Amino acid sequence: MATPAGALVHGRRFAAGVAVGVAAAGLLGALALRAARDHEGLLRAERTDVVTLRALTGVVEAAGGTGDGVRKGVAAFAAQAPELAAIRVVAFEGISLEASTAAADTGDKAAPRRLDREEKDIFDRGQRIRAAVETNRQEGGARKEEIEIRPLPSGGFGFAAPVELGGNVAGLVDVVTAPVSTRLGFGPGAALAFFLVPVALMLLAWRPLGAHRHLLAAVAVAGVAAAAWLYGGAAVRTLREDRSATEAAVRERMASSGAAATAALSAAGIEAPLDPQAWDADLFRRPLAIVAPSGIDAAKSAASFELEAGVLRRIVAGLAALAVAIALFAGYGQAATLFGILRKHREAYAYVAPAMVGMSILVFVPFLYGIMLSFTDSNLYNTNQPISDIWIGLKNYSAILGDFRVVTRAQDGSWMVNFDNFYYTFFFNVVWTITNVAIGVSVGLVLALILNTKGLALRPIYRVLLIFPWAMPNYITALIWKGMFHQQFGVVNQVLQIVGFHPIAWFDRPFTSFLTALATNGWLSFPFMMVISLGALQSIPSDLYEAARVDGATKWQQFRGITLPSLRPALIPAVILSVIWTFNMFNIIYLVTGGEPGRSTEILITQSYKLAFEKYRYGYAAAYSTVIFAILLMYGWFQNRVSRGTEAA
Amino acid sequence: MTRRGNRSEEPAHLPLHLILIAVTLVTLYPIFWVFTIAFSGKQSLAIAELPADPTTWDRIRSVIPWPADVSFSNFTSVWNDQPFGLWLLNSAIVAAATTVVGVFLSCTAAYAFSRFVFPGRRAGLMSFLVSQMFPGTLMLIPLYIILVQWLGLGSTRIALVLVYAVTAIPFCVWMLKGYFDTIPKELEEAAIMDGASPATIFFRIVLPLAKPAVAVTALFSFMTGWNEFILAATFMDKENLYTAPVGLRFFVGGFSQSWGYFAAGSIIVSIPVVALFMFLQKYLVSGLTAGAVKG
Repeated sequence: MATPAGALVHGRRFAAGVAVGVAAAGLLGALALRAARDHEGLLRAERTDVVTLRALTGVVEAAGGTGDGVRKGVAAFAAQAPELAAIRVVAFEGISLEASTAAADTGDKAAPRRLDREEKDIFDRGQRIRAAVETNRQEGGARKEEIEIRPLPSGGFGFAAPVELGGNVAGLVDVVTAPVSTRLGFGPGAALAFFLVPVALMLLAWRPLGAHRHLLAAVAVAGVAAAAWLYGGAAVRTLREDRSATEAAVRERMASSGAAATAALSAAGIEAPLDPQAWDADLFRRPLAIVAPSGIDAAKSAASFELEAGVLRRIVAGLAALAVAIALFAGYGQAATLFGILRKHREAYAYVAPAMVGMSILVFVPFLYGIMLSFTDSNLYNTNQPISDIWIGLKNYSAILGDFRVVTRAQDGSWMVNFDNFYYTFFFNVVWTITNVAIGVSVGLVLALILNTKGLALRPIYRVLLIFPWAMPNYITALIWKGMFHQQFGVVNQVLQIVGFHPIAWFDRPFTSFLTALATNGWLSFPFMMVISLGALQSIPSDLYEAARVDGATKWQQFRGITLPSLRPALIPAVILSVIWTFNMFNIIYLVTGGEPGRSTEILITQSYKLAFEKYRYGYAAAYSTVIFAILLMYGWFQNRVSRGTEAA
Repeated sequence: MTRRGNRSEEPAHLPLHLILIAVTLVTLYPIFWVFTIAFSGKQSLAIAELPADPTTWDRIRSVIPWPADVSFSNFTSVWNDQPFGLWLLNSAIVAAATTVVGVFLSCTAAYAFSRFVFPGRRAGLMSFLVSQMFPGTLMLIPLYIILVQWLGLGSTRIALVLVYAVTAIPFCVWMLKGYFDTIPKELEEAAIMDGASPATIFFRIVLPLAKPAVAVTALFSFMTGWNEFILAATFMDKENLYTAPVGLRFFVGGFSQSWGYFAAGSIIVSIPVVALFMFLQKYLVSGLTAGAVKG
């Protein structure tokens, strides 16, 4: 790093760094608070409307789900609930619209009537909700939402909840709310003024501390920390006030919906108790037990708020760290150096940038994200939980790599191979790769040598015909070969029978199943090696052979001394590439053998695909994939060393 | 047979021809088989129906790749009764866009890696190489989250184009860089003396000289977009946005066993790639060997 001229340059750099850092952190912090407040706004609409919906559902259930009582009750409820634009009650029996206050359902479309074909979406919604309720009940958990919410173009929301009669979901209450604004907007702009604290501190410290870089850094860190602490506090207070307003709104709604429900029950002529406390519930209809008509449980409210406050605090802390990083990066002169490099090589970076940006977003970030998933217990049931809640450290890796039970003893004392074991699959994967590459290279090389014969007629035609397998899409090839190995109709078994053998059930035994995949992939991969070898052979100058002949070398000596060494520079990279391709040759294994029988012909990559998309163990599958990557990386490193070693020798 | 040269020096040609003919027949047999099934007019994967007690001749008949009755019905039904034309159009759009984006990104990056010395050059090349080892299954779920949840590109062709173009970059960059390295720098230096701008040099001098390698890059990008099916099956959940590979597997996957439709569809899908491949294959050898040797 160049020594800057003049002591004040440090102070200036730190001041600029702090300014840029806090500007970035302040902007992101304001956006984060806005997102949190808007989320709270949505939550408020959701919670209040769920209260009304549950009150209404209670009335419908008390009225028996069908009949005149329901219609009278719904009409009376609607009269006292201006927040609802339309109410519809559907009974599954007879697919009938039992009651409706929607403007469209008047005249000859008035309830009760059978649902139209165009109204199938309402019925489907009901079936979805019924399935969700039953699933949750069977699993004894809460996985599928029992109340469906959908935003409507009008600005309101559509809510749908199940009507339960005698423990069964017998119908559906579908309401549309009047348009509401859920946006709470940007937080207190004044709080952003806290970010002026570090800037002011830097301006004060800049001249006196000019040459003391570490002291300047300490001032920057202290200033940013103070600003973050103040802003974080203000942000959490704002959000807390929003939450209190939400709870007040819920309580108010409980009172108004309670009145509507009472009126509805008396209009329907029913005596039934109301339980307003249970109306404040989540989308699985589990009571939150925070708000009651009598008051708000402050302790429970604080506990439920703590989660969101924690997230916001962590975000602010992260932003502070970002601001500090920017300040120190600029302050210690790294930023200046970086800008210098960027400016000097701007042309090169401009050329590389588009590809690099694309690679970063669509290759490197997903890769890192996948590695992060490998440390979690992510699966189908917890995809919505934050990463920190499902973090399990190295457990996936120890489960994969620490399980050495490759062979187990069965009940009758015979030995059995555990095909699900990682080491078995790895062994199979290595055998698969070596046999395939060996076949590809030997067949390709022999054909290339034959095709390189001088003066051989029809050479271009053979060459074109022989590279057909390479040109064909490999998933088509795989499906063709699977068809040809069909036990009953496949042509391979017909040929065997012509020769006098019995037909073979190819996919019933691991070895024969392996042979089908090997045949497919061998067919697919030899043209690549052939083309590479042929290209290299044709580039060998013929006078080398002339000279060798003059010296009396035999054909074999010429092959050993001239042909093979000239092939090596082309063949080694081709072999490395083909080892990597074959090791991860997903399509062939997945489409030809499918791992049959009993996962014995699974390779690592197909195994990890099935773990993710058939068993939905995302975290475990990610760890499995990471191990595959580590294996390939080690192979690449080893190969690199070996080929360098041989080149040097 | 023509025989040139000294008999003791050159191997006899007849046995070589016999070997080549045998290998060629074995190589082409699966392709004949697809044609037979496609033109059989049936959905069965057997070439001929065997009687209850087949003779050897019946069995021989059932492996000769010629249909019992030649019929175009599989082609007409795939085209008219199935939405295959639409799927093919989707594939064509995706593959063409992938080619354009992929070639642009690869050429610019490869040129920089070949011509400029800059901090991060080695790391960049290395990271491209290492990215070839990333297992696809590791990326699938994160890619879904990024493209569908973050960028909101679920069920769009843009998502597929972006992913395909980017996954083709590392291979293309390494190959193009190898080729660019072989183009003498003096040409560009002369152009600079004549006052040409860097963009002119790149587009008017380097790219035309690198035509073979660019052709291979284009072919590779096109084939990536045209042939891929796992990502397409994951991201495209609307039937009218299926690409041809997803559609083809639809014919013989799960409980469906429409081998006739599959065979007819396979031929339609393969014709463009095979034709392109054959047309560009003369560049392929030079491109691949230049990239591989110099890499």
